[in-house]
Amino acid sequence: MITALAFVVIGISLLLAGWTGVSAWRHRPTGELQMVLAIVLEAALVTQTVIGFVRLSGAQLAEPVTFGAYAVGILLPVPLGFQLARMERTRWGSICLCFTAVVAAVMTLRLIQLWQATGG
Amino acid sequence: MAERPAEQASTPPVQQRQPAGPTGPRRALITLYAIFALAATSRAVVQLVTKFHEAPLAYVLSLFSGLVYIGATVGLLTTRRWSRAVAWASCGTELAGVLAIGVLTIVDAVAFPDDTVWSRFGSGYVYIPVVLPLLGLGWLWSTRSGDRPTATA
Repeated sequence: MITALAFVVIGISLLLAGWTGVSAWRHRPTGELQMVLAIVLEAALVTQTVIGFVRLSGAQLAEPVTFGAYAVGILLPVPLGFQLARMERTRWGSICLCFTAVVAAVMTLRLIQLWQATGG
Repeated sequence: MAERPAEQASTPPVQQRQPAGPTGPRRALITLYAIFALAATSRAVVQLVTKFHEAPLAYVLSLFSGLVYIGATVGLLTTRRWSRAVAWASCGTELAGVLAIGVLTIVDAVAFPDDTVWSRFGSGYVYIPVVLPLLGLGWLWSTRSGDRPTATA
């Protein structure tokens, strides 16, 4: 993990969540730029996971298994929301993508906590 | 948010209605349930594998809640004859579970040295676990069969 990158990921997640949230509020489906942003977010998440696993052996984590589970699990929600937003061309598609973006932000926060908790 | 599917049949739709009708909120519900199924189940598996002895009761309950979320997700996602029954049972179990565990974790905190998804009404998950079954049951109630002709399922 690189903490600065993690906060960039959280920033992108919250931007996407807020944007799609506004779309949902305005009864709009997701737009093309939002889908692009979702892809950017997923790319950042994949990068973060790869870096996390590469640096895992050097970091003495208290809960390495939990970290690994989160690092892999965090890749799943955004594609789910992306796919649902493509299928569901209503405000509810925007809500789906909004949910999953919030989840990505929360899980990244949890990843930072797990990364900073070293085993004694 | 909760849009009544069965409005008076004579009145034409005033504004532009969501074309997918109940499909929309149902998909949003499925998204939430799928996320919680993933979160609760994987959390329980990790805890059971790595530190079962620390809090066996809490971890087994986490696994149980994960299975209930999976049941609800499948019940909401599929349209078989048994789907709605599974969804009703899962959401009902979920509501009972989150209320029971919520009370127990406050009254008898010693029995739960580690948290479950449902601890303190799901405070670790911004109380979504206590709201989610209400949304699920509300959707099932508002779309129960017999109150509207089959338009777009």
